Amino acid sequence: MSADVWQRAEQLRGEIREFVRTSMPSDILRKSSQHLTLNKDEYVRWMQALQSRGWAVGHWPSEYGGLGWSTLERFVFEDELGRAGCPWIIPFGVKYVGPVIYTFGSEAQKERFLPPIVTAQEWWAQGYSEPGAGSDLSGLRTTAIRDGDHYIVNGQKAWTTYAQWADWMFCLVRTSREERPQQGISFLLIDMRSTGVSVQPVRTMDMCHHVNEVWLQNVRVPVANRVGAEGDGWALARFLLVNERTYGSGLGESKFALERLEALAAKQNNAALRARIVELDLRLLALECVSYQTLADMMTGVETGGEASLLKVRASEMYQDILEATVDALGYAGIAFDAETLHGEAPPPLGPDDAGGIVRYHLYNRAATIYGGSAEIQRNIIAKSVLGL
Amino acid sequence: VTLRFSIDAAAAGGTDEMVALLRESIERYTADNYSFEQRWAALRSAHRYSEKAWSDYAALGWLALRLPEDSGGLAARATATAPLMEAVGAKLLLEPILASVILCTGLVLKRASASQRSEILPRLADGSLRLALAHQESLQAGAPTSCACEYRRGVLYGNKVAVLHGDCADQFIVSAKNIDAGGKLSLFLVDATAPGVACRAFPLLDGRGAANLSFAGAAAQSFEPAALDADAEALAECMQEAAVALCSEAFGVIRVLNATTLQYLKVRKQFGKAIGSNQALQHRMVEMYMLEQEVRAFTLSAQRALQAGEDGRARIISGARAFTCGAVRHVAAEAVQMHGGIGITDELDVSHYYRRAQVLGTLFGNRDFHLARFGVPRHS
Repeated sequence: MSADVWQRAEQLRGEIREFVRTSMPSDILRKSSQHLTLNKDEYVRWMQALQSRGWAVGHWPSEYGGLGWSTLERFVFEDELGRAGCPWIIPFGVKYVGPVIYTFGSEAQKERFLPPIVTAQEWWAQGYSEPGAGSDLSGLRTTAIRDGDHYIVNGQKAWTTYAQWADWMFCLVRTSREERPQQGISFLLIDMRSTGVSVQPVRTMDMCHHVNEVWLQNVRVPVANRVGAEGDGWALARFLLVNERTYGSGLGESKFALERLEALAAKQNNAALRARIVELDLRLLALECVSYQTLADMMTGVETGGEASLLKVRASEMYQDILEATVDALGYAGIAFDAETLHGEAPPPLGPDDAGGIVRYHLYNRAATIYGGSAEIQRNIIAKSVLGL
Repeated sequence: VTLRFSIDAAAAGGTDEMVALLRESIERYTADNYSFEQRWAALRSAHRYSEKAWSDYAALGWLALRLPEDSGGLAARATATAPLMEAVGAKLLLEPILASVILCTGLVLKRASASQRSEILPRLADGSLRLALAHQESLQAGAPTSCACEYRRGVLYGNKVAVLHGDCADQFIVSAKNIDAGGKLSLFLVDATAPGVACRAFPLLDGRGAANLSFAGAAAQSFEPAALDADAEALAECMQEAAVALCSEAFGVIRVLNATTLQYLKVRKQFGKAIGSNQALQHRMVEMYMLEQEVRAFTLSAQRALQAGEDGRARIISGARAFTCGAVRHVAAEAVQMHGGIGITDELDVSHYYRRAQVLGTLFGNRDFHLARFGVPRHS
């Protein structure tokens, strides 16, 4: 089995390289490889370009339109795209809610919601975090009160990425008060055009609009849009979070960033920078070894349970350090920052063409050790679930 | 550099019966015969290791692992000795396993003539011959590719330093410039008792023995005559085997220190609660756990790269060695710190692991040496 799995993954690797060379929209690749922001239309074109090969949902089972990829193929897919400087694969539909729907949803929900995820025709947002529920997600307070065939939803969601473009939001809400905070939570699909939904932009320190506050005021949501049983939302939320973390090692993206840093350093005669790069390179190779070892362990079923947290901590902290070193290597171009130039229309005020994007991405990526379970939460998880502390 | 072999070998790895049996045999033997307490006597004995354990290893077949089957061996590749090196770290074994069983045995197999092999191999297998590699000449902890020792008209001149187990070896494999053959780096067998050999024996930080050697016209035997740089190549390969073997040893040290420290965090109470209930200590313990996972994965990659003889192996091996040296030093320092005052005593095993970590992190090339080697830009 293993040789076969390898062969298919390597074949996919070749196909992806060929795709990037020949079929990748060049305007999008230019912007993403310079870390400039993409608009909704560009992201949709990107996701549709992937789906023209069936890859956006390659990891889905074939009965829902996927290719039934192995864990390894899924990993290689993200690795290769990241390495080529491709855009973020928008995860909310294809990685997050899609698998929840085909695993836990009703037939009607599968029929209604899966096809437009596959074709990137509907944009999804993730309604998890709240002002009072970040790392401690179970502290969420948004309520859903049953009213006949509907729930009446009230509350506020925070850090909702690209909610300004979303058609739908999957949302954790409290349908009852129980003894433990993890109980009494349900998983709802909310139409963003519903009355009572309002989206307030939050500008992050890269001076861009990625995240939002989403206010829900007496929003009527059909009971038919609840996935899973009432009160079972926490199990679905955890299923989704594990999916989110497991594939998050971002190896390809780190390789791309480190190669860029090496190219900048090659033009400078700076021994300290050189030494810093060697240390980063070593961490990257360690991450690569442990990523593949984790895949091997997953495929042979000998996981310890701490792997996803380990990969997330190491990858996010290392990526931040690579970007920090890159900004340093840019020198004065690392402090020049004209937000008007971050969308690709004009070159940055100083330095190479990607200088502005690198600075922006460095700022935005401070979030990488915070979202999806902060680095501290990941360490808590290992301490508790693996080490028994 | 591709890591494709990781999956292949890991998927197939569980079926490597010989390695599994060896691992079981080592665990059983050391559990019964090599506890920390049992080890004290060996530390204080003449050779600074247990003669009894050494002959037991011979009886168990561990000394013959790398030997061909017609010499009573198991014909294992260098990397199949990983469980043994892991035990060297985990149980702080003192016997000349790295020096004799892995490195020198490897050199003999690569370079000895048929008559040399027939004389040496049976004695390696039964433990009556202990070999030590005399290569290092300077204090810098690297893996030198040249040396100042010279071989002229059948005899050796020059000095070697810190030869691991040089205090008790029966024979040395010595690197020297062969003046009779144009000065190329060559290897020679020298009897420890030969006239012209002077030996200043001393203990290393971890209690094992070593020696500084001087050769003043000592009789030396060449290996199989070969064109080109067969000896230099064998030695370079041997240095890679040493780096990978030391990664396994470091993994053994880390594994035990992590288990010991984790246990201590759970049982040691201060201020009325287990010290492991403090998040500050939990997160430091998690760092040690993560390093253990990374060292395991990195070491396996290095073993496979060495075994497959890949083009990019030097980089992976030096990377693994550099990473592992850093990790084992960090884990050892943290283990001492989290044990508090008791951690710095000679009485507790933790301090012995700490000292071993420093020794294994220096032998045949330390972190700085391997990091520099790893960091040579790939595309220049």
